[in-house]
Amino acid sequence: MRVVIAEDAVLLREGIIRLLADAGEQIIAAVGTGPDLVAAIVAHRPDVAIVDIRMPPGFRDEGLRAAIEARRRVPGTPVLVLSQYIEERYAGELLETGAEGIGYLLKDRVADVADFVAAVRRVAGGGTVLDPEVVTQLVARRRRGDRLDALTPREREVLGLMAEGHANAAIAERLFVGDGTVEKHVSAIFAKLGLGEDETGHRRVLAVLAYLRG
Amino acid sequence: MSSPTASAVLSAIEARWHPRRVIADTQPWATMRFLAGNAWRGVVWFVVVVVLVALGFGFATSVVLLPVALVAVRLWRLAARTERRRVGAFAGAAIPAPYRPRPPGGWIARAAGMATDPATWRDLAFLLVGLPLGIAELVVAAVALFTPLSFVLTPVAYANTGHGVGLAYPVGSWFGALVVALLAPVAAVASAYVLAGAARGHVLAAAWLLGPRKGDQLEERVDVLTRTRSGAMEAMLAERRRIERDLHDGAQQRLVALAMDLGMAKEKLDRDPVAARALIDTSHEEAKRVLADLRDLVRGIHPAVLTDRGLDAAVAAVAGRCPVPVTVDIRVPERLPEAVEVTAYFVVVEALTNVAKHAAGGATDAAVRIAKNRDTLIVEVVDDGPGGADPRRGTGLAGLADRVAALDGRLAVQSPPGGPTRVRAEIPIR
Repeated sequence: MRVVIAEDAVLLREGIIRLLADAGEQIIAAVGTGPDLVAAIVAHRPDVAIVDIRMPPGFRDEGLRAAIEARRRVPGTPVLVLSQYIEERYAGELLETGAEGIGYLLKDRVADVADFVAAVRRVAGGGTVLDPEVVTQLVARRRRGDRLDALTPREREVLGLMAEGHANAAIAERLFVGDGTVEKHVSAIFAKLGLGEDETGHRRVLAVLAYLRG
Repeated sequence: MSSPTASAVLSAIEARWHPRRVIADTQPWATMRFLAGNAWRGVVWFVVVVVLVALGFGFATSVVLLPVALVAVRLWRLAARTERRRVGAFAGAAIPAPYRPRPPGGWIARAAGMATDPATWRDLAFLLVGLPLGIAELVVAAVALFTPLSFVLTPVAYANTGHGVGLAYPVGSWFGALVVALLAPVAAVASAYVLAGAARGHVLAAAWLLGPRKGDQLEERVDVLTRTRSGAMEAMLAERRRIERDLHDGAQQRLVALAMDLGMAKEKLDRDPVAARALIDTSHEEAKRVLADLRDLVRGIHPAVLTDRGLDAAVAAVAGRCPVPVTVDIRVPERLPEAVEVTAYFVVVEALTNVAKHAAGGATDAAVRIAKNRDTLIVEVVDDGPGGADPRRGTGLAGLADRVAALDGRLAVQSPPGGPTRVRAEIPIR
């Protein structure tokens, strides 16, 4: 897997490079600004780009803008955005460029090495990976009398894991239950929210997100 | 929050009583009515004030003096308000209320505030002056009305009595009587000016006594600025102390523990790899908690999303982190000045923090409403918790009030025991 990294903090950049190299991935470019990221993606056509939202010169959302710009120039480039904070708004802006190969994670998640590498690979493979906090914020934002109120706590947990891009098997493993149980929860969620149940993979994530952001 | 000064009234007066417009004034009757109204209202207010003063003397030695005086002050301020409105409507330019902002605190503080406000006493002066002024205006109006009429009727009067009436009394010949009658239009024009002058005098007196004074405004402004500046300073210092405390009690302690665990793990690595592994596991968890701590702390200092995307996004995110479900309704399409946005944001943060903290087990939902009302941003946070929040005791709310005041805004906290709690901030936008 060929990876481009855009991160201005040297410590973290070197850390991510080391971590991915350890996992057997190939780092083809490491840059520290938005324009450099766009240039690197156009030049190298990587399998995935890992991007910090905040970069020079403004230290605001340069990374996000650059990622959106890069996906406009090279459609379909998988991008995993890292941020010190999770803001549902940023997730929305990213997803507007298409949900295939989009990731948005809290920087802290890098600390769980195996999970992080798995997330990078899921995004590179065209999946959608969203931080659990995105879902928390979206769920908390709901209006009174929402159909979400009908979900049980367990179903909400499953909903969160679905939005993180996990397949049923992975959800079952995390919750220490059988695949059948998860399937039951998933169909209950889709029925309660009035969503079509045949969606799979990132389309499933999208259906859930579209509902939450509605 | 620049309040219109008396100059607005003055320029309206200049426009209305411009010499050319006085002649073209198609409503001399309105002016007459105004003057007559001034007279009878002058009498009424004078009587009211005299009765109130008499009551005050009557209760001078009694414990109810204070409440009676308070009611009296309120009454005459009310009377002054109706006059301000009426005269303003006639002049075509509102006379702004000159009062100082109502001081915070109970009714005693409010009463003291009213009693020490010079505007209160100017109100009283206007109500008292209204009697002689009104009667003089009535006389002027009567003369102005009667004189042109008497000029027209002078030939008739001369034929019957041998002399004229009113100002034309000395007329002693038919020739004189006819000249006076022909002068009636001139007298009418002069009357129009006299009427206008009287009305103008009344409006000026009202603007002078009932309107704001430039000196007062400046003085009061200096007071407010001095107070809010030190408030803002204190809020800032308190904030720094809080950050210091949070860093000291949170991240710093955790990093010490983390370094200790890692040090122990290093020691045990060769002798007891299993224990070392366990220590590394805890250290890993601890490190993640430190990160979360720091993230919260940094966000508390200044939320990046507020700068990047504005109030809507920032408040939605705060609401999302609140343990109680929060309904968010923000109707501010455009970006506002940074100070306004940041202050509004922290009002929401503090209010929701209180919802989470004090209303634990009590509040089941909360609502945030932010809307623009002309040049003011209104931020309202309501929860259905048990209430009883006191802005004077909780440092958070007090600091918040200081922050809002520093922008010339106001913060009101209503939290009766039993709830609901309503925190409302009005922040001028400029």
